[in-house]
Amino acid sequence: MNPHHHLDPSTVVSYAAGALAVEVAIVAATHLETCAHCRARVQDAEGIGGQLVEHQQPALPSTGRLADLRASMLDQLDAPLPTTTAPTPRSAPYEDDDRLPAPLHPYFGASYRALKWRWMAPGVHCIRATGTKSGTLLMLKIGPGRSMPVHSHGGTELTQILRGAYHDALGHFAPGDVADLDSDVEHQPVTVPGAACICVSALDAPLRFPGWLARRLQPLFKL
Amino acid sequence: MPSDFTRRPSSPGTTRPVSTPTPSSRDAHDWAGDMVAVARLRDRASFMRLYDHFMPRLCLYLRGLGNAEAVAEDLAQEALLRLWQRAAMYDPQQGAVSTWLFRIGRNLHIDRVRREPGWVQVLEEGGPAVDEELARPFSSAEDYAEHAHLQRRIEELPAVQARLMRMSYFEAKSHQDIAEELGMPLGTVKSHLRRAFLRLQGQVRGTS
Repeated sequence: MNPHHHLDPSTVVSYAAGALAVEVAIVAATHLETCAHCRARVQDAEGIGGQLVEHQQPALPSTGRLADLRASMLDQLDAPLPTTTAPTPRSAPYEDDDRLPAPLHPYFGASYRALKWRWMAPGVHCIRATGTKSGTLLMLKIGPGRSMPVHSHGGTELTQILRGAYHDALGHFAPGDVADLDSDVEHQPVTVPGAACICVSALDAPLRFPGWLARRLQPLFKL
Repeated sequence: MPSDFTRRPSSPGTTRPVSTPTPSSRDAHDWAGDMVAVARLRDRASFMRLYDHFMPRLCLYLRGLGNAEAVAEDLAQEALLRLWQRAAMYDPQQGAVSTWLFRIGRNLHIDRVRREPGWVQVLEEGGPAVDEELARPFSSAEDYAEHAHLQRRIEELPAVQARLMRMSYFEAKSHQDIAEELGMPLGTVKSHLRRAFLRLQGQVRGTS
């Protein structure tokens, strides 16, 4: 898989810093599973983090406290090394038909077939993740050849395409691609014919729909 | 314009704003070499050199994320113990020791304190984060030069970019948090962070 749409550098920085809202981080992680390009950028950003942490000038803890911590560490060095399991090889999350990407498992389960879709609007089904504190993490399934209402975002929208595809003013988005959208982007995704488009989206502010029709739709979306 | 990026204890009476510009002998220390000695020889002296250098820095980082002192110390001890236990997994070509420790410390904080499952596992410490063709192998001399470049670029970040990077890395503030706290449009927050990152990667030169 070779995605063509990547994470914005500002998202990469905040991911590496551990500073993204959890919903956004989950979608970013879902993209990173498939994207060597963005993994390399995150590693660069972690290098910046390492450098920043190393070049802090810490006030030394009191010598007594430091000596205690040091002694406790020395004691632990005698323990037998735990058997380190080799890191599991990076799975190819899009090859197994039924397996969701690993970062989504705690929030949506592991199986596409077991997903319990709920009707949201004509041609649109969704599942809202349970167990996140704020913001919104949801999976969307949009029927083939459907056009979503024009909308923009109060905050961030991060969307990873899992199946199917759509296009909008920003281009063509296929499985593996991520749409990392600024708050001022207004777009109207249209799914391609043939197969439903399944994607996972994180929002940290409500969607905004201009126009009277879209305003009537907004309560349906409850976003 | 120099930025006051490096955190230091407040020292009344001095006006020197930035970290010491000349690298101290510590900065030039070959931490990767110590890691190799730990991995191959289980060399305690090398490990304790790493410990003495990084322990107070990790504690300061973890306290900055909002942890009480005792929690920060526990997490930092655990991070350094992992360094000892998993030294064989460290690959100098995948990044500096400081990068590895930063990653371990951050992941421990997210797992244990924030309890947000699902996302740090993608970039487990020591795991093959980067595919072969995208890794940039460094000799240790190139590696050191690269770090010196990065440090200089950090010190030369424009003040506002430095401030936003600090809020991201040291306080784990989201774009939205930063926008609210500084009364800055969200798009502006993102574009400052974007420019700071590209600049630190050496892709952007100049003063904006």
